[in-house]
Amino acid sequence: MAQSSKRAKSGWSRRKFLQTAGVAVATIAFPEIIISCGPQSNPTPAAVIPKARKGASIRLLQWTSFVKQADDEFKRQAAEWGAANGVTVAIETVTGDQLQPKTAAAVEASSGPDIIQMQYAWPQLYTNSCVDLTNDVNILIGKLGKPDPVNEAYCKVDGVWRAMPYTIVPNAWSYRTDYFGQAGVSSFPATWDEFTIAAGKLKTTGKPISQTDGHAYGDSLTMWNPVLWGFGGKEVNADGKTVAINSQETRNAIKWAQGAVKAGFVVHPEWLDPDNNQAYHADRISATLNGASIYIREKVEFHHYTDVTNNAPMPSGPKGTFAMNLIFNHAVMKWSPDVETARAMLLHLMDKDQYMKWTTIAGGYNAGPFDAFHNDPVFTTDPKLKAFQDVIAPGKWPGWPAAPSKKTAQSQTQFIVADMFAKALANGGTGDIEAAVAAAETSLKAIFERP
Amino acid sequence: MGTATRADAVPVWHRRRVRIYDREAPLGYLLLVPTLVILGIFLLYPFLFGIWLSITDSELGNVGNFIGLGNYRFEFRNTDGVFYEAVVNTFLYTGVTTIFKLGLGLVMALLLNQVFPFRRFVRAALLLPYIIPTVLSYEAWRWMFDPTFSVINWLLVNTHLVHYPGPNWLGVPANAMAALMIVNVWRGTPFYAIAFLAGMQVIPLDLYEAARVDGASRWQSFTSITIPLLRPVLLVVLLLSTILTFADFQGPFVLTNGAPYNSTQLLSIWAYQWGIPGGAIGLGAAISLVLFPLLTVVVAIVLFMLRRPE
Amino acid sequence: MAMQSSTRSGQPAVLGPRVRKPRNGRAIGDRFVGRAIRIYIPLLALLAVTLFPFYWMAITSFKSASELFDFSVSPLWVREPTLFWYQDLLTKTNFPHWAFNTALVAIVSTLISLFCSVLAGYSLARLRYRGADSIGWGIFVTYLVPPTLLFLPLTFVIRELHLFNNLWSLILTYPTFLIPFCTWMLMGFFKGIPRELEEAALVDGATRIQAMLRIAIPLAVPGILAAALFAFTLSWNEFLYSLIFLNDSLVKTIPVGVTQELIHGDEFFWGELMAAALLGSVPVAVLYSFFVDYFVAGMTAGAVKG
Repeated sequence: MAQSSKRAKSGWSRRKFLQTAGVAVATIAFPEIIISCGPQSNPTPAAVIPKARKGASIRLLQWTSFVKQADDEFKRQAAEWGAANGVTVAIETVTGDQLQPKTAAAVEASSGPDIIQMQYAWPQLYTNSCVDLTNDVNILIGKLGKPDPVNEAYCKVDGVWRAMPYTIVPNAWSYRTDYFGQAGVSSFPATWDEFTIAAGKLKTTGKPISQTDGHAYGDSLTMWNPVLWGFGGKEVNADGKTVAINSQETRNAIKWAQGAVKAGFVVHPEWLDPDNNQAYHADRISATLNGASIYIREKVEFHHYTDVTNNAPMPSGPKGTFAMNLIFNHAVMKWSPDVETARAMLLHLMDKDQYMKWTTIAGGYNAGPFDAFHNDPVFTTDPKLKAFQDVIAPGKWPGWPAAPSKKTAQSQTQFIVADMFAKALANGGTGDIEAAVAAAETSLKAIFERP
Repeated sequence: MGTATRADAVPVWHRRRVRIYDREAPLGYLLLVPTLVILGIFLLYPFLFGIWLSITDSELGNVGNFIGLGNYRFEFRNTDGVFYEAVVNTFLYTGVTTIFKLGLGLVMALLLNQVFPFRRFVRAALLLPYIIPTVLSYEAWRWMFDPTFSVINWLLVNTHLVHYPGPNWLGVPANAMAALMIVNVWRGTPFYAIAFLAGMQVIPLDLYEAARVDGASRWQSFTSITIPLLRPVLLVVLLLSTILTFADFQGPFVLTNGAPYNSTQLLSIWAYQWGIPGGAIGLGAAISLVLFPLLTVVVAIVLFMLRRPE
Repeated sequence: MAMQSSTRSGQPAVLGPRVRKPRNGRAIGDRFVGRAIRIYIPLLALLAVTLFPFYWMAITSFKSASELFDFSVSPLWVREPTLFWYQDLLTKTNFPHWAFNTALVAIVSTLISLFCSVLAGYSLARLRYRGADSIGWGIFVTYLVPPTLLFLPLTFVIRELHLFNNLWSLILTYPTFLIPFCTWMLMGFFKGIPRELEEAALVDGATRIQAMLRIAIPLAVPGILAAALFAFTLSWNEFLYSLIFLNDSLVKTIPVGVTQELIHGDEFFWGELMAAALLGSVPVAVLYSFFVDYFVAGMTAGAVKG
């Protein structure tokens, strides 16, 4: 029974796939596409463990992690598996900015790496190029428990797993306990209102709490989306169609931000992702929101402020606690001649022991996306890293409460939410709120109402 | 070639001239073959494909349907609220930087054409901005503009030209635009200078000698000999540079990526935002092609001006 | 030979010394102050503005990571210079490979582009035939499509030719943005050469091709070198195609290799980045200084070689 339902399902996906390929062939007349889909057209029985083909070669493309040793360990594990199974494995790492055009080119040419790291909503953008991994994710779920809901939201497109959950890069506040002490703030604020008060006090130390409100790939999203949600604001309704940014809740969030900036919270529209790290390392600021990279680099390399640095989770707003983290998953691409081998390799890399070796070396920068990783000792051996585990549960994705889609990806990459705050926070937090909301609404409507 | 040949050449000259021009066509086409082959394979197809994309609703990985001018309409109605801003910024960016690069490039070329000590070193030094890989120099500039580590501001403050902390280069819309322009001029000027310097070498020296004998001042020689004879090179360089600047992506992308809030948004970045991270490749193509007709007219005019002296 | 020198001036014998020191002739009547205002001061100003970023990069490349972030003392000098970043770059990354690849690609694609565009430029500027205008226009118009999107359809072509992860993908695609540029550049130079020179040669019995090879092209040498310089530099710096078409670290070019291996997430390793930037540009600049010298002297040389 399970067998037949499975077959029906893969039949559907195969048909859909051939349709797509047909269109592509008709238009571009490159018949190779059909050949490349060969392996996928053999339906695999449910929960059958994929086997590596001896002599296959697998290329995996992903971003360069901040922790170089973690990249090295990832490559080592992949090479080790390759050697054991007679597979040539190549891991290519590129910067976040470069991963996007490289992936786009591979998708357009229907050729390229066998496995590509999917950041945020890429499975939604490139659905037709990603092989159905439902079988393999189910195997993982059997071993590792429930997947993280944010990874699941991104990986699962129309009920089909288009990518395998890979990792979460949690974002929390790194702050200087010495400056906080000087300013008379005993612990990192737990609510946004306390945050405003703390920012005002820290201002007197000359080392403000600072964050970007510019076009930073990670840091401006992880900051301003949770603020918006914390006050009840949202870009779009859960239906993913009705733009809902023009609300009192949005205005409350902006008003809070203006108050915080007037009190002493310093926002930098010019900052990109590396800038707050550098300002922190240079002893210019007392707190900033970031991945664990600031703390880890202090701890491992600089040793200047390790003892006086601590980390804290996101403060709460009146409507609850929210966070946003970087979400990366792996997709097997349909043009791969060795889809099964690629799936086998991914499963091996997600194996609990292998994976924990990797997160240990990553030192708290990465967290595992399944229940089994919730007790990862990397976050408990150094208690200061606990904050990075605490931000995983309240994590949401840009566009929430709407499900991730092409539209949410567009609004995310056009920085609409961050720009709305940045406009209102210009000139020391005195920008025009109405104009900022109106501009965001125009841009969002252009995206969500576009056919 | 003795004088005898030349003396009785006059009647032959006329006869041959006609025949020579008759035979120019085959050679003319022949010489174009290598160029047309390479451009045909690697440029024509992508180019036509780009135009086709712009009239479809294609998305990355999904071949779209023909939607006529829908994408262009979307932009011309400024539906996303950013397009017009990007157009204005692009023109401003291109116009201002081109004027500066042209002026400074001429000055630089005139200077490099002089005799002075360490000339070889100076020429190489002035070329450096053009040689260094842009991805790296733009990152360095970004760092020099970073408010926390701005060595520019450190200098300005320590020479008491401005008060601490100095201008926020990339965080204020007008400053950010100015910063983009400064970097572009810094990088682009040597390109003009070298082209002009080469152009000046082709100008026959006896013209200057004659002018000097006639009592012309330096300025007069410059305006009545250098500039007119530099005109073909000048126009080509101007045209090329304008188009390259118009489509400039890397510098602005690394330095501001359109921030603060789209105030330095350029068409090239906006097209990229929609087309690559946003996946709406049809719309992205339309944004980058939207000024194509206008640019084509500019090219046609310059081409005409270039041909005119014959 | 005689004919070519005579093009420079009616009296070749007199011309010789003047050509050699043309601008010095002017300088005779100048006082130092005049030259200082006219030449040295603007030159120094230009140098300062041009070179400051390089000074900054050089200083940065000798600083240790913690000194880099320390602005409490003058950031314009380095207290404890270290060669660590250079060492790291040359031994722990594939930088030497990247440099070799970059040079190879730049040289070959420049040669291909020059070959094509000298011929095309001559044809379009010098020969009269039906359609020359529209072809020249057509070559240029393709240039107006921004590479930010052009790279997508181009990947199809590269895939069909099986050139992914192969330096030939760059050698063959770089000419697409070099040829239009060089062709037009050279058209300008060919137009600047008086038509009468070639006509005289034709009258003397030279064929059209001989006239082109022996008269027009030697006279356009400064232009060809300028075009070569641009083409080489553009290939040297090219980023996007190199990013898209190449995958293995060993086949990468400097701009892509350096950014991929020296930027880790949101932490920048400035010392190494700047060391790479300098190592990637200063040798080329030195090379250029010889070239520029050559083509600045190009006219004299061309006349003598004739």
